[in-house]
Amino acid sequence: MSNTVKVALAGEGGQGVQSVAGILVEAANDEGREALYIPNFGVEQRGGVSVAFCQISDERIGSPKFKFADLVIALSDRAVRRTKQYVDENTVFIYDSSVEGVEDDMPQKVKKILAIPALDIAKKELHPRVFNVIVMGAAIAVTKIVDIKQAKSALEKKLGYKFKQDPKLRELNFKALEKGVELVEGKV
Amino acid sequence: MSEKPIEGEKRVFMTGNEVVAWAALAAEADIMYGYPITPQNEVMHYWTRLAPKYGRSFLQTEDEISAGFTTCGGVLSGKRAFTATAGPGNILMQESMTMAEMMRIPTVLVVQQRGGPSTATVIYSQQEVTMTCFGGNGEGLRIVYSTCSHQELYDYTIKAFNVAWKYRFPVFVLGDGYQAKMRESLKMYDPATKGIKMVETQPSLGLAGVPGVDREPSHLRNTYNTEEELCEVVTNLVEEYNKVVPEVVEYETFETEDAEIVLLGHGIVTRAAQAAVKTLREQGIKVGHFRPITIHPFAADELRAICKQAKKLIVIESAQGQFERIVKEAIYGESVPMESYFKPGQGITGEEIVEYVKKGL
Repeated sequence: MSNTVKVALAGEGGQGVQSVAGILVEAANDEGREALYIPNFGVEQRGGVSVAFCQISDERIGSPKFKFADLVIALSDRAVRRTKQYVDENTVFIYDSSVEGVEDDMPQKVKKILAIPALDIAKKELHPRVFNVIVMGAAIAVTKIVDIKQAKSALEKKLGYKFKQDPKLRELNFKALEKGVELVEGKV
Repeated sequence: MSEKPIEGEKRVFMTGNEVVAWAALAAEADIMYGYPITPQNEVMHYWTRLAPKYGRSFLQTEDEISAGFTTCGGVLSGKRAFTATAGPGNILMQESMTMAEMMRIPTVLVVQQRGGPSTATVIYSQQEVTMTCFGGNGEGLRIVYSTCSHQELYDYTIKAFNVAWKYRFPVFVLGDGYQAKMRESLKMYDPATKGIKMVETQPSLGLAGVPGVDREPSHLRNTYNTEEELCEVVTNLVEEYNKVVPEVVEYETFETEDAEIVLLGHGIVTRAAQAAVKTLREQGIKVGHFRPITIHPFAADELRAICKQAKKLIVIESAQGQFERIVKEAIYGESVPMESYFKPGQGITGEEIVEYVKKGL
């Protein structure tokens, strides 16, 4: 169980956590590593908190869900409340700095808590649509599960058909990825 | 049209439902009958996308009662037919599956367990064990594989068709919502490259020639008039089933040779149990793990042997004792103490098993 990196990404339905989780594990798999990803899913068609559980390892992965993550990223107030159960003294807990009213909901036993202005940067400097890609960059920078080059080629694989129509989208996504890395580098 | 869906062997990364659809294609399944229910839906979705490319068929029925019976009908016409379902759908398929038991119809049913009772959750459980093994008004004359990974979903879906057609008992692949929805890697292959030959199918109805003149009439019955007649028929069925048992029963053990504590778990829970054994052994604790692959029939003799030397068994499952009942029946009379770790409808991690075992030392 030791060399497995465990990540829980959580947000509101539509924030794109499942998409980036999918791209992240795809990137790890393409590197020849073992990856396991399971979305949580309920009976609702839309809305609600959406959690993606990802594990990446050099060996076969055990149970699909885990008790505590190495990294939790929560993108809404409800996501913070829902995912703090996956946090212990070895967990880096990241939330978006736009989330309000969660001061009393922060995990107590935690390795590090970090607020990042991903949503703000997406809106002001890039585009709201690449909010989740900034989050993906942050996740990669904290966990080092794949390198940036691999992450870019996974984005290319997933969104290549859109990039072809509008090459500016490629630049936008890659910038968002790098921005996400910048936001956490040296801070955890 | 009829090129092979998979040439040689290749590593892929996909959901378990997609794996089942590919495995059925590779196993030369002719047709799937189905009705949607979460978390099984994508078996159907992928099958409907893939099947036309390889000349295979699909029929969406009006409900699971019909999906089960049309699967029986497809098999009787000589087609390698299958269906897939979960939860309440599994309940509705029990009637047709008992007909398959009675008439020796080699159906294949993939079950992706969800929470129960009733609608409950669409996520995960191991609460369809009793129903999948013993559901229906009958004696449970069926073979149930409890898989733990995408590799096994692939391997055992292919195997299910062959075991069904070889022995003519209904075969079930018992997965769960986690296996259905998660993505992980596996190796898909053309069965022929592994020396696996698909058992030939034959029609039971509509045969050429005049019945009673050119050939024996095919007399398929599930209705009997007298108690004596039925008792004789069922006794013979049970006898034939029991003959098959030693040939199909499968299990795995992990470090049980000198184990004082033996963890019992099936399906995806085996992954947590295996991880727990590894961690606990590193700490010098003599723990082993026994895992049935065919949860029914069950490797009773092999588990009995383990009971002789173990000091404690711990039954671990995402249900309230459905697996434990099978275990208890299998080792009736053994004196080894038994504990249980039940989480009905919830996943179990290696970490929590480690914690539980250490608390009991």
